[in-house]
Amino acid sequence: MLKVSPWKSASTRFFLAIACVLFAVSAAPAQVHEERMVTNNPPGHAGGEIAVALRSDPKTLNPAFAMDAASQEIIYCMNADLIHINRETQQTESALAKSWSVSRDGRTYTLQLRRGVRFSDGKAFNADDVIFSFQVYLDKKIHSPERDLLIIGGKPIAVQKINDYSVRFHLAQPYAAAERLFDGLPILPKHLLETAYRNGTFSQAWGVSMPPDQFAGLGPFRLKKYVAGQRIVLERNPCYWKVDSQGNQLPYLNEIVFLLVPSEDAQVIRFQAGDTDILSRFSAENFSVLERDQAAQGYHLYDLGPGLEYNFLFFNLNDLASKNLPQIAKKQAWFRDVRFRQAVSSAIDREGIVRLVYDGRATPLWGQVTPGNKLWVDRSLPHPPRSLARARELLKSAGFSWKGDGTLIDAHGNPVEFSILTSSSNAARMKMATIIQDDLSHLGMNVHVVSLDFSAMVDRLLNSFDYEAAVMGMASGDADPTSEMNVWVSSGGTHLWHLNQTKPATPWEAEIDRLMNQQLITLNYERRKRLYDQVQQIVAQQLPVICLASPDILVGAKDRIGNFHPAILEPYALWNVEELYIR
Amino acid sequence: MRYLLRRLVHAILLLVAISIFSFALLQWSSGDFFDAMRMNPRVSQQTVNGLRSQYGLNRSFPVRYAAWVRSVLKGQMGFSFSYDTAVAPLLWARARNTLLLTSTATLLAWLVAIPLGIWSAANKGKWGDRACGVATSALLTVPDLLLFLILLLLAVRTGWFAAGGMVSLNFNHLTFWSKVKDIVFHFALPSLGLAVVTLPVLVRHIRSAMIEVLESPFIRAARGHGIPRTRMLFRYALPAASNPLISLLGFSVATMLSASVIVEVILSWPGLGPLMVQAILARDVYVVVGVVMLSSVFLVAGNFLADLLLFASDPRIRVE
Amino acid sequence: MKHQHKLWAAVVLLAGIHGVILFAGFFAPYSFSAQDRGLPFAPPTRIHFVDAQGKFHARPFVYGLQDDPNVAGSYSVDSKRMYSLHFFVQGAPYKVAGLFSSRVHLYGVPAPGRIFLLGTDAYGRDQFSRFLYGGQISLAAGLIAAGLSVLLGIIAGALAGFYGGWIDDVLMRGGELFLALPWLYLLFAVRAALPLHIAQWQVFLLLVTVIGLIGWARPARLIRGAVLSGKERNFVVAARAFGASDLYLLRRHVLPQTYAIVLTQMTLLIPQYILAEVTLTFLGLGVGEPMPSWGSLLTALQRYYILSSYWWMFLPALLLIPVFLAYYVAGDALQERLKSVPL
Repeated sequence: MLKVSPWKSASTRFFLAIACVLFAVSAAPAQVHEERMVTNNPPGHAGGEIAVALRSDPKTLNPAFAMDAASQEIIYCMNADLIHINRETQQTESALAKSWSVSRDGRTYTLQLRRGVRFSDGKAFNADDVIFSFQVYLDKKIHSPERDLLIIGGKPIAVQKINDYSVRFHLAQPYAAAERLFDGLPILPKHLLETAYRNGTFSQAWGVSMPPDQFAGLGPFRLKKYVAGQRIVLERNPCYWKVDSQGNQLPYLNEIVFLLVPSEDAQVIRFQAGDTDILSRFSAENFSVLERDQAAQGYHLYDLGPGLEYNFLFFNLNDLASKNLPQIAKKQAWFRDVRFRQAVSSAIDREGIVRLVYDGRATPLWGQVTPGNKLWVDRSLPHPPRSLARARELLKSAGFSWKGDGTLIDAHGNPVEFSILTSSSNAARMKMATIIQDDLSHLGMNVHVVSLDFSAMVDRLLNSFDYEAAVMGMASGDADPTSEMNVWVSSGGTHLWHLNQTKPATPWEAEIDRLMNQQLITLNYERRKRLYDQVQQIVAQQLPVICLASPDILVGAKDRIGNFHPAILEPYALWNVEELYIR
Repeated sequence: MRYLLRRLVHAILLLVAISIFSFALLQWSSGDFFDAMRMNPRVSQQTVNGLRSQYGLNRSFPVRYAAWVRSVLKGQMGFSFSYDTAVAPLLWARARNTLLLTSTATLLAWLVAIPLGIWSAANKGKWGDRACGVATSALLTVPDLLLFLILLLLAVRTGWFAAGGMVSLNFNHLTFWSKVKDIVFHFALPSLGLAVVTLPVLVRHIRSAMIEVLESPFIRAARGHGIPRTRMLFRYALPAASNPLISLLGFSVATMLSASVIVEVILSWPGLGPLMVQAILARDVYVVVGVVMLSSVFLVAGNFLADLLLFASDPRIRVE
Repeated sequence: MKHQHKLWAAVVLLAGIHGVILFAGFFAPYSFSAQDRGLPFAPPTRIHFVDAQGKFHARPFVYGLQDDPNVAGSYSVDSKRMYSLHFFVQGAPYKVAGLFSSRVHLYGVPAPGRIFLLGTDAYGRDQFSRFLYGGQISLAAGLIAAGLSVLLGIIAGALAGFYGGWIDDVLMRGGELFLALPWLYLLFAVRAALPLHIAQWQVFLLLVTVIGLIGWARPARLIRGAVLSGKERNFVVAARAFGASDLYLLRRHVLPQTYAIVLTQMTLLIPQYILAEVTLTFLGLGVGEPMPSWGSLLTALQRYYILSSYWWMFLPALLLIPVFLAYYVAGDALQERLKSVPL
């Protein structure tokens, strides 16, 4: 017998090589190269903790149901989304999806997911979690408000898994703000929530009283402890997928403590006393109080200019045929005349509102888009100064006249009097209503202000239509016009001045419908801007809402916090929480 | 004994009546919890309606009331939309904080009011009594609000007291004794404020009750016997004057949960007051009903306790 | 001080206060809604006799105000603008008790000067004028609500004490129910359910009525006690033996014994109900703008920035004290006086 060593045979070596390759390939998933996102902030160093005040208890930590500001702020720190909107540039940037491509017809988005990312409990993240998350958000039985955001062209978006790290979204029609959809839709861990979903108990999952080890998220922090009515403590997520330019893993901070401080005044006091490190979004009156102690106490105040909030006065233009409100219906003859609304707008002292209500820290508005929305504001809109003379001319041309004692009467001799409804919990709007009431008295109108608690007011505005005029404010969540579709489209649910329209009630509302639907599917920014500019111009002429002012966004932070770059989009102070560090 | 049983039955009937009345009030008032969501332009009407029916808000009054009673019997007391949890655990935690505050305040107030009232009555008409009268009147006229705000301002300016809340930032890192000290540091101000607010009424009642007793024959006899003044005041006069004071004590217990609403709201003390106010404004109906029921239980129990104590202590009543 | 003197002093003080407030239009230099948007949060105006050059003026004067160039949000006097103080001036028209109108005010300075004895609020409205006009609302609220409570308390307490038995039980338990009611929530609900067309004063009256209705339990309890002991007096028993009807007994013999309690209850309840109105306005349930009430003047004080920066906003709160003091002193004096009257 010939004694040949098996290692020397060519075929053995060949088979062995194949075996090694196969072995290497099969071992590969355990050592996938981790694709981290590199941020471009100035690098800081790890360590430290900060305290932030919350105005109310979070209602839930379940992203599918969180609608209130407190819950959303905490969920923001604990979760991550596929495509993120950078609050400073107001544009989209890659997050969990490292890149994406759009089909030529604009209806298909293919996203490539980052590899090697792990949840805060160490389990791997892949396309299955994305599919699961969207399945939950889109499920009708769950009643998640996020579902409404994902209905494009009347149909919910469809999601499809290509492979473990790539997903495809199908839209029924091209949608201009499609990328922005993904911001604020955190990816949920399938391994933790699937059971609850299959059992139908998903709505109870991830409430605030859940033990921390049942959470897992992709955000910079994870839940450490929750003490009801007092505080929520978040700790660093050791598996976070972002690094800074020097390769240090983010976040820098060890812990964030959210303290429950229910009133703004109490928050200001605690910030002044040094109990909290960041004061997010406080009102103008407290600015001067805090300004005095800036240097001594080691904090800094920031006036970021106008945000997205716009406050406005509007009249009840609803169809009251089915309601028993004869007195209001009679007054609608005045409200429906555009010259009446223009006269009211001309008589309002917007500068006075800015000065008296916001201590000068606000911008007067003549349209619904504020200067803070850099990409969409129509800078060519006219800003007519206050003019009682012009108001009187407009009223005269509309058939109104004045009695001997100055009272304004309409063409039938009825004195012009009405009430302005406002929410008693919002001091700024009550002040605005008081100033408007005084302004309109110079025109001979007898106006009085009625303040109700918020729920009662909303009931009148949305259900019973039992109001004459109201002062309200809107703050859309995003700078993009599509977030306000429901306000401007005539069939929209928040088309406050005239709800429940089956078809547009006026030609200009029909025109706004056409323009808004058009901009929805226009992908080119310049063309969209022109369309939306036209909408702003129609609103400024027809005045379904008489815009008043937009308050500045004011935040404060201790000097020891580095990389603090507050923005005018929520969450104002913590949008880059992973980059904050202690100097 | 029969009298007590009768009172007990009355008490239970009263509580049931209160629960029905509160429920009816909530049904009747406009708006519900999901209205805030309706005002959000990014949420559709269908979603809100779906959530409403999921939480059972569109069922009829009797159905909802029956469901609530069942929930009470199970110890849950309904569901809170704001906090996404059963109402009962929410109530107990907050009630404990409120009781801590009010019992301390009551104790403080009584400890000061009794000697002050007695001294004032004993020196009736002299400058000390009149100064006391002016001081109590002045305190009575200052609205609670104002007083608490002044105390808050004091706390912030001097730093002697905590400026609100129940515990400090680093509470969990403290030792046991430091924790105790921390809590005391935080609730010194609200309990002080509450005590000061309830003091004047107490002093006046004690004073007038003592004055009446001091003018009665047996006191004159005691004085004639040469009994020392302090002994006479505390051992003879005070027990005789205790009738209205016991009713007052029962009343203090009865209002223990509701008296502190304003101070809790202003000084951010996590008690039942802020919970109730927020729940009313947010239309979190079951929380409102829960708080009302808890306060009513205390009210009825307090009155009952007062009657009981009166029965036991004052022989004149037993004769009736 | 003898109790007669004390009582008369208190009554005179009360009459004075109510008189001034009734004629608020005369005593106040400005209307309650006149806004001066250039002067929000102006401090109280100082009255001078000696000017910047050291010259003495027999007629006092005030200086004009301008924005302080050094301190943002503050004012400094402009000593070049002097406005002398006049009495019995012609000013904005007003109505007394809605009946007759006049233009005469007790004091004033010529425009564009301003005299703000208690400073101004966030809209530049004179706090002193608003305090006087606000008193009309608040005092009316206290009086009406207290009157209503006591009236109901008399009826309920008399019936309960006189007849006893199940009437007594029902009324007293009913009283407990009213005490236990979440009156806060009740008021929110009532306010929200009201139509917008009814005038402000009607809303206000309704709310005041509700407060008065809720508060009958305590006076009822006290009156019941008095009736219980009063109906056993010798002369009442005698009258009954002579065949007097229940109504006659109540009207002629029993109820007069309760007058002392009724009167003192009234004087104690009025300030309590005024404070209830303050709380209502604090929670947003009061009369709306621009009508002032003492409650709306105090609401501003719950904001920290006002407490720390604008101290004169406290002054209306301090002015409340003499009003309440007068009521309490009157109540005390009444109590003593009526005790010493033999029955």
